[in-house]
Amino acid sequence: MSETAQSNHTEKKDFLVRSSSLKDVRTFCREVFEKLQIEQNLKDELVLAIAEAAQNIVKHAYKNDPQTDDKMVVQISCKDNKLQIGFYDMGTPVDPNKVKHREIDNVKPGGLGTFFIQEIMDAVEFKDGKKPWINHLVLTKQL
Amino acid sequence: MSYKVTEDGNIATIHLDGEIDMDVTEKAKEVIFPHIEAGKEVHLNLSNVQYMDSSGISVLIESHQKALEKNTKVIIKDVSKSVLKVIMMAKLEQILNLE
Repeated sequence: MSETAQSNHTEKKDFLVRSSSLKDVRTFCREVFEKLQIEQNLKDELVLAIAEAAQNIVKHAYKNDPQTDDKMVVQISCKDNKLQIGFYDMGTPVDPNKVKHREIDNVKPGGLGTFFIQEIMDAVEFKDGKKPWINHLVLTKQL
Repeated sequence: MSYKVTEDGNIATIHLDGEIDMDVTEKAKEVIFPHIEAGKEVHLNLSNVQYMDSSGISVLIESHQKALEKNTKVIIKDVSKSVLKVIMMAKLEQILNLE
């Protein structure tokens, strides 16, 4: 489902909560950012941040459950040069206080996804999910 | 993700192709780790990898650390600009062996 306006632009799409959906999430984002004429470097960064957030839903909210038929929704909105990306899922509730990246100097596998999101985006906010959603994450970036 | 492996003496050259994300990290490990565990020097050619996320970066870190344990090394070759940017964002350009 998508809706576009001349001054504002909003598109959203749902995806099965599976690691195999991550490629589709990236494709969706690239297509939207193409329409928004976002330059390549920023587009690459935004796609990475969005894919990391989607990966966190698969990995943490759903513990990489291959059996789930649940879907997550990614919504990209752009208004007055402010980009807002919303993520909705019905997985395990996220405690925002426990969402931390590893110390960047403590080199070990894992714990970088949240770091990338925070590096790329201006703001990361967990909101109360309104039914049927449990988690609602909002990433924002001033363009 | 697809891959090609060539071996020359103690050097295993692995060309990865495609996008490296959480969905393919297990496959990437299955391709890379046995060569490290066999004590080979691994040359990981990433010229055809245009996208890598934190899961892919974790594979690079784990490969590097496994190689140190085995007294060998993983050399990352021909890394694309987009992947180099992610490596630099993770502040790993001085830690991983990049050529």
